[in-house]
Amino acid sequence: MNRYLAILLTFARACLVRDMTFRANFLLECVTSLGWMSMNLAFYLLVFTYTAEIGKGTGWSKEPFFAFVATGLIINSIVQAFFMPSAEELTEMVRTGGLDAVLVQPLDAQFLVSMHRIDFSSFANGAVGVGLLAWAVSRMDHAPPPVAWALYPLLIVCGVAILYGLVIMLAAATILMGRNQSLYDFWFYLTNFSRYPAEIYSGPWGGPLRMICTFVIPILLVVNVPARVIAQPFTGESWGGVAAAVIAAAASLVVSRIVFQRALARYRSASS
Amino acid sequence: MHNTDPNAAAAVADPVIEVEGLAKEYRVFDKPEGLAASVRALFHRTSRAVEAVKGVDLVVGRGEFVALLGPNGAGKTTLLKLLSGIITPTRGTARVLGHVPWERADDFRRRFALVMGQRNQLWWDLPAAESFRLHQEIYRIDPARFEKTRNALVDMLDVRRLILQPVRELSLGERMKLELVAALLHEPEVLFLDEPTIGLDVVAQHTIHEFLRDVQRRRRMTVVLTTHYMKDVAALCERVVVITRGDVLYDGSLAEIVDRFTTHKIVTLDFDEAPERALIERFGFPCEFRGPQVVLRIDRSRIADVLPEVLAAAGIRDVSVEDVPLEEIVAELFRSDTRAHAAAEAGS
Amino acid sequence: MSGGFEAIRPPGRLQGLRTWWTMLKISLEERLVYRGDFVLGTLMRFLPIVTQVFLWTAVFSATNRGDIAGYSRNDIVAYYLLTMLTRAFSSMPGLATSIARSVRDGSVKKFLIQPVDYVSFLLAARVAHKLVYYAVAVVPFGAVFLLCRGYFPPPPPDATTIAAFLLSLALSFLLGFFMEATLGMLGFWFMEVSSIVFGYMLVQYLLSGHMFPIDLLAGVPTGLAGVSLADVVHWLPFEYTAYFSAAVWLGKVQGTQLAWSLGIEAAWVVVMAVACRVAWRRGTRRYSAFGG
Repeated sequence: MNRYLAILLTFARACLVRDMTFRANFLLECVTSLGWMSMNLAFYLLVFTYTAEIGKGTGWSKEPFFAFVATGLIINSIVQAFFMPSAEELTEMVRTGGLDAVLVQPLDAQFLVSMHRIDFSSFANGAVGVGLLAWAVSRMDHAPPPVAWALYPLLIVCGVAILYGLVIMLAAATILMGRNQSLYDFWFYLTNFSRYPAEIYSGPWGGPLRMICTFVIPILLVVNVPARVIAQPFTGESWGGVAAAVIAAAASLVVSRIVFQRALARYRSASS
Repeated sequence: MHNTDPNAAAAVADPVIEVEGLAKEYRVFDKPEGLAASVRALFHRTSRAVEAVKGVDLVVGRGEFVALLGPNGAGKTTLLKLLSGIITPTRGTARVLGHVPWERADDFRRRFALVMGQRNQLWWDLPAAESFRLHQEIYRIDPARFEKTRNALVDMLDVRRLILQPVRELSLGERMKLELVAALLHEPEVLFLDEPTIGLDVVAQHTIHEFLRDVQRRRRMTVVLTTHYMKDVAALCERVVVITRGDVLYDGSLAEIVDRFTTHKIVTLDFDEAPERALIERFGFPCEFRGPQVVLRIDRSRIADVLPEVLAAAGIRDVSVEDVPLEEIVAELFRSDTRAHAAAEAGS
Repeated sequence: MSGGFEAIRPPGRLQGLRTWWTMLKISLEERLVYRGDFVLGTLMRFLPIVTQVFLWTAVFSATNRGDIAGYSRNDIVAYYLLTMLTRAFSSMPGLATSIARSVRDGSVKKFLIQPVDYVSFLLAARVAHKLVYYAVAVVPFGAVFLLCRGYFPPPPPDATTIAAFLLSLALSFLLGFFMEATLGMLGFWFMEVSSIVFGYMLVQYLLSGHMFPIDLLAGVPTGLAGVSLADVVHWLPFEYTAYFSAAVWLGKVQGTQLAWSLGIEAAWVVVMAVACRVAWRRGTRRYSAFGG
């Protein structure tokens, strides 16, 4: 385990050196991702000029909703920083045979495939997320109890784990199919569902959608569970969500691991 | 048409690579051409199985330096990938250093290395020293030993000043040298080289030959190499395995391949001035006139009888008798196999 | 597609047409090879709308008003669906970056040598590309619109509106093309245009109405008396690539206002076409002066 940490640090160092070599590019990436984020925030502000709440009686008024958005920013920035750049590079690695070099090294292939590249510019959004969370929580009517603060980081980790499992399954699909452009679009569109409070999915179409996105692909648990814990009154019912998130995270890790191993066994390797 | 000696397996004293009936089949989908065909393919995709490697048997002993030869698409690289555990075979067994490669045990992967000439395994934007450092972590090399090995390898190839430069700024030859250093840092017992000299200039090729020979002897490393350059083979390998269409066509020593598959000797005669054609042509061998020089291809079986007679011709200044170049022999070998295959296809 | 470039010879009209036809066929074949990806990809592009629809439904449920900025909930759904349609005309995936790349790697040179007009060539290629796209995309689009027909306001628009709608779509294609092409030509001046393109996409996403109806900005002051942000945006080119056509279909823009807006859109097409042409002239002059 120690060795993996050492290797991860080596990766991090190398990526940092690289980012600092191309400083201008790095700054641009920070600026663009901040730009994208502020645009979304502006949109939500605009929406709240027309309504006081997202969904009647859901409790997602302005400040709790921004706490929700902040949670999403934090989780996504972690996933974007640690896993997405490597996973996106995988397509190229499969196409050019770079994956071959990974497979001959005495190291867990899943580890190498999902973590060899770290995108530091993605932390910019996470930092803004933390700031936004502090702002939103301080302005809410009810202060989160200590237990909520204790659970929050754990649930963030669970959210990251669920998304990580999805990334790994996409990676497995890439290995099997050799290309994956629409798969990554799929990732984008799928995580899109996690961007809003689960309560908005109601009615004859929304209900089933909510069920699917909670129990089949637990994408709705990613942001909703930690955000609820911090931004909504903490009650006995909150524990149900916590349990669901923990179970979903564990299942996501296990299932994705199995799928990935199967995919590796069927890897074809690019011809040279 | 196997030329493998059935006793070869027994003859290898300390087998490091043991392969039996190894086969790899790929399923490929036909990509139809033309609009109408594309539309048809909407509803029905045709696929067929392609056997990249079919039932290869091979035993390699410790310390051997083996060349895998074959035309493009013969299955050399697929075989190397099977042996390094990158892909899983359809049939057959293989053991490398006592491990089944495609189980990818860490213990196995720590003991071999694979270098592919066409692929870059070093960190592109960073100095090679960083990649070496990562190797140390991945292969758990003892720091003191790592330093020692790295310094030795770097000095042998004279690339010490290059390891602090970003890899993207280096030439192909320099990069290849650093790739080799990286691959040898963990002192692998088995080294697989896939076209290591592709695209390199003569000087770099020569340096790499010297280096590989040196390291291989010193460490008693087992090396399997695929290449299209006969220079690599002549400089490095005693043993040659020829593969065509996924099958072993020949397995034996380099000397033997020359002996067995050459029918001619190349005799070059230098005259004082351009000789009369009829004088040479009367011997009845294929010949080529290049001013005062004449090149003859003489049957090996008759060379002893004919040569004195040829040399008796007036005005000869110099003479040399050579084997047919290795390239030509191998090309002929590939071609004859293709012809045999075509004939068999036609007959069946 | 590179084969398409090579195929262009000193043109006679007929030759040009034949090249174009070949191009059309090749890109159709390409699409059909990856048809699974394509249909799936097109359908997936509707997914963000699903979340948007639910978000707006939730917003409407929490407020007591029947409309927001003149849009009922159904209007909003219809609006988002229509912007998908207009984006299918105005978006030019990869155009700017491919132009910039051809400048960077020098492949643009052949257009300096061959008697072919680069801009016309790109336009022809894009038309072919779009035609093929519509040919295949009509299936998923048709399915979604049929399924969601209930969201559209009951009386179908009159003939004038439909004509204006179609005209605005055609203009939005040209506008989108010339804007992106001009952006790509910046590659003559900047080595790396990807960040500029990304910045453009951000502004475009926000101000084209892709994200929300521009009418929502009518309540946002600009500091100038009596001028809202929406008023400013009406004079910019962006909203004509998504918002405008959808608003026309929904009857949000009518009468003289409609005529005016079409005029602004047409003017922007001309401006961007000229800008594109000028950028190409200046860029190539600069390129040959500096030796690429």
